[in-house]
Amino acid sequence: MLEFINVNPNSGDPIYKQLHEQIVRLIVGGQLATGDELPSVRKIADHLAVNPMTVSRAIGQLVDQGWLERRRGQATRVAQKTTQKTDQQETLLFKAIDQLIQQAQQLDVPQSTLSELIKKRWEL
Amino acid sequence: MTQPLLSYKNVCKSYQQRQILNNVNLDIEPGMVVGLLGKNGAGKTTLLRNALGLLTPEQGSVHVFGEKSNELSAHNKTRIGYVAQQTFGYEGFKIADALALHRSFYPDWDEVLENKWLTRFELNPTTAINDLSIGQRQTLALIMAMAYRPKLLILDEPVASLDPIARREFMGDLFDLALDSDSGILFSSHITSDIERVASHIALIKDGELLIMDELDLIRDTVRKVSFADSRVDLSAYKVLNKQPNSAIIYGYTGQDIAGSIAINALSLEQLFVELHG
Repeated sequence: MLEFINVNPNSGDPIYKQLHEQIVRLIVGGQLATGDELPSVRKIADHLAVNPMTVSRAIGQLVDQGWLERRRGQATRVAQKTTQKTDQQETLLFKAIDQLIQQAQQLDVPQSTLSELIKKRWEL
Repeated sequence: MTQPLLSYKNVCKSYQQRQILNNVNLDIEPGMVVGLLGKNGAGKTTLLRNALGLLTPEQGSVHVFGEKSNELSAHNKTRIGYVAQQTFGYEGFKIADALALHRSFYPDWDEVLENKWLTRFELNPTTAINDLSIGQRQTLALIMAMAYRPKLLILDEPVASLDPIARREFMGDLFDLALDSDSGILFSSHITSDIERVASHIALIKDGELLIMDELDLIRDTVRKVSFADSRVDLSAYKVLNKQPNSAIIYGYTGQDIAGSIAINALSLEQLFVELHG
């Protein structure tokens, strides 16, 4: 799974949040299936050249939120699917949508035109 | 509570009538990797040199392992690693001879680690120090400061001349030191993307004053730039780091509405740095 994640230290989001979001995306998108093992914190940290505490924070949150499960002495795994996860599919888009709306407003593009544009591009 | 490895208390220092450090309070605990961020001339190097007892504060105190930094015992001196901005010394030595001399000062020196690093960074022991590039000298200085796994590691602009691959590998070594040996690391840098990757904590220094010292993630999560049309906007619930006629940088934001604000934006470390000096 390491090849699917990357972090950008110059982005507006802290690194632990970028990791959190990307792992959620991998689970929701099905690249990571229930029961799949995650590499160790140290391995992920080495691969991304980031502080292991940062990785640990992201993983810890994902465990608390039920995305991952950790059993004593075993690797961290992707947890059973719950209904909460499918809701997440939509919420994952909020940030990108908010940015799009903000740009449309700055350019004075009305909501109806924006919806039409999305429809048009979707069907490309 | 554990004793901090390094502790600054109300430290003031001036040089030729100019105040360089103004009432700095800062504790470095085991496991912390603290990125010291500030402009040229903000007082970073002075702060670091005070920890080594190379400078003595006019007011306040600096303690390392519980001892005053300018009265450190010989034993405690062997538990500190330091890489200065400008190295070097050992001119006229070969790498192997310089390392042999350096090693003799440190009882806990790990030769296996030394050899691993020499191989990894492609340093040939028979090369003369004078023939090394700046980046190679910096690498050797890092090996000399880290091969005895110091409990406290102080680095003044450590990676500026290293190539990106060497920098990445060096970062991994820093984490090993902080987490496996429970050491504390204080390093200064202008490279905000490096700090963002490496640091667990950030200490931001401006004009000799420590503006913030906290967990990096906490700073990133709660620092915001607030824009407004009317400068009478009420920001008393937050720590205001910088205020301009139409915007302010606040710390401690947790998602509330701010009456009278036009926009509330998160900042990357680099943006924060630039905004604070605007």
